Formats: sequence, structure tokens, C-alpha cells
Amino acid sequence: MADPDAGARPGEDHALGGPAAESISTDADTARGPGRVLVAVYGLFAVAAGARATVQLTWQFDEAPLAYLLSALAAAVYVVATVGLARGGRAGRRTAVVACTIELLGVLAVGTLSLADPAAFPDSTVWSGYGSGYGFIPLALPVLGLLWLRHQSEVAAEQAEERAVEPGQNSPPKSPPPKSPPNSSPPPA
Amino acid sequence: MRDRRGWAGAPLLVRTAPVTTPLVGVATVLALAVTLLGGLSTLLRRRIGQAHLVGAAALELVLVVQAVVAGVALAGGHRPVELPTFLAYLGTVVLLPVAGVLWARSEPTRWAGTVLGVAAVAVAVMLWRLLQLWEATRG
Repeated sequence: MADPDAGARPGEDHALGGPAAESISTDADTARGPGRVLVAVYGLFAVAAGARATVQLTWQFDEAPLAYLLSALAAAVYVVATVGLARGGRAGRRTAVVACTIELLGVLAVGTLSLADPAAFPDSTVWSGYGSGYGFIPLALPVLGLLWLRHQSEVAAEQAEERAVEPGQNSPPKSPPPKSPPNSSPPPA
Repeated sequence: MRDRRGWAGAPLLVRTAPVTTPLVGVATVLALAVTLLGGLSTLLRRRIGQAHLVGAAALELVLVVQAVVAGVALAGGHRPVELPTFLAYLGTVVLLPVAGVLWARSEPTRWAGTVLGVAAVAVAVMLWRLLQLWEATRG
């Protein structure tokens, strides 16, 4: 017996899930596709670093003030990057680029300092040893983030170009908004 | 306490040590299964489906059981050294599969499975840290 709703619920008609939507690279959106994975990881680190910094600053501040303040800085940077990536748009991308850049410099600086002068970092932070306590993800994240943001701003620039080429933006003629190219929409099954 | 046989076996385990290696082991296996399913969906260019939901639900069930028995033991006097950290981990680990499923379901591309996988990996890692925190009762 055929399920009449099978086509309407593409996400649930197989145990492993229905076919995915095709690449969304025509849409500038930092929190879609691979970007959503980035936002998820950034969100995790925002929560993890934030909680850790809160505990350190509240109960153990005197033990290693420098390390714990850096922990708090790292947490703030992760929060800002997460919000920037999740919101997207021109402002969101710019915010995220700044946050990712600070993050990259931070993990490189703290990583180097923690190896060169371990006495200053008696207790580890997210960025100690280039993030070795977190599987070096803190080192990879800003690089991936900046690459993704560069890709997204290229996509956005292309879109803006296309929009500029299309004549008469404020007088919509017969065709609906040029969101989807005609050849990419399959006939209804 | 009269019926000692009733407390034997698994219930005894749960009663004396709520965050135990076997319980964490079961949850870890489930978390890794969800991770693999998520990765598979991404590889096959699919969204998430029934298998992911069932896996995540099973994982969530184990995590809730763990949180409840841990809460009972905490009320009964067990005190990990880093209590605030322990509670933060315990709460976060329960929320993660739910957040992962919600966010993966609203993602139309094949990356939905990876998003769920990220949440599941985080659960697996946090569980073992939770175990360490639980066992460290005396400085």
C-alpha cells in the first residue's frame, strides 16, 4: 500500500532519510548546509568555554588570573562568532570574520605562550597547547570559519551582480521573483 | 532493605554508583551509532530519517535515566569535588540530543546528519568527563 504522504514528507520516507536538497550554494546563507555544522560546533564551544570560564572565574580566579581571563575572552569570541554565523547577512558575516580572526590569533598566541612559558598557564584553557585538550578543534575552527565566510561573501557578491543585471527591480513583469532557475525545478512527481 | 535479593544485580549497580562505566558505555555506544548514522546520511546525500530519530531517542532515554539516578544520589549525599561543573555537564548532556535533532530536522541539505553527529560526539566526550567528575569525590 503506497503512502500518499510519502512525497510530502521527504525527510521521513526512509529510515536513513529522504533525498537531501541539492547544494544551496546559490543562496548566501552562513547557517545553511555545511555552515550549519560550523554553527553547531561554534555553539558547542561557546557553551563549553563559557561554562568553563564561569567556573574558573567564580571559584578559582586567584589560582591563575591570566589564564582564566583568557578563558573568558575565548568564550566571548566563540559567542560572537556563533551569533555572527547564525545570523548571516552582510553584518553577520563581518562580525563573524572579526571574531574568527581574533580567535585564530588568540589560539596561536595562547598556544605558543602556553608551550613557551607553562608557569603562566598552570591550568589549561581552551586555547592552551593550540587546543590540544579539545582535539585541536580550536585551531581548525577559525580556519574553516574564515574559508566558509570567504565563500559565502563570494556567493553574496555573485548574487548582487545577478540582481544588478536583471532590469527593472521595482517593476515586476510577468515572471515571479528569480529565486530558482527554471531548469532546476523538477516536474511534480 | 529487607528484601536484599531485590537490590541485587543491576539495581544495586544503579543504587550505589549512578554514573557508572557500564551506563556510560551503553550511552557512548548509542551516541556513536547516531554519529555513524548521521555521517552515513551525509555521505548518501540524504536528510535524517526514522533511524536517526530512534537512535537519538534511545540515547536520550539512557541520559535521562542517568540524570535521574545521579540526582537521587546527589540528594543522598554523594558530592563530586567539582559539583558546579558536574551539574553543568549533567544538564547539558541531556539537552544535546534534543537540540541536535531539532536543528538537524530543520536542515534540508545533506548536512543535517552531520549536525546530529556533532551533537552525538559531544555527548560521548562529555559522558566520559562526567564519569571522571563523578568518581572524584575527594580532593
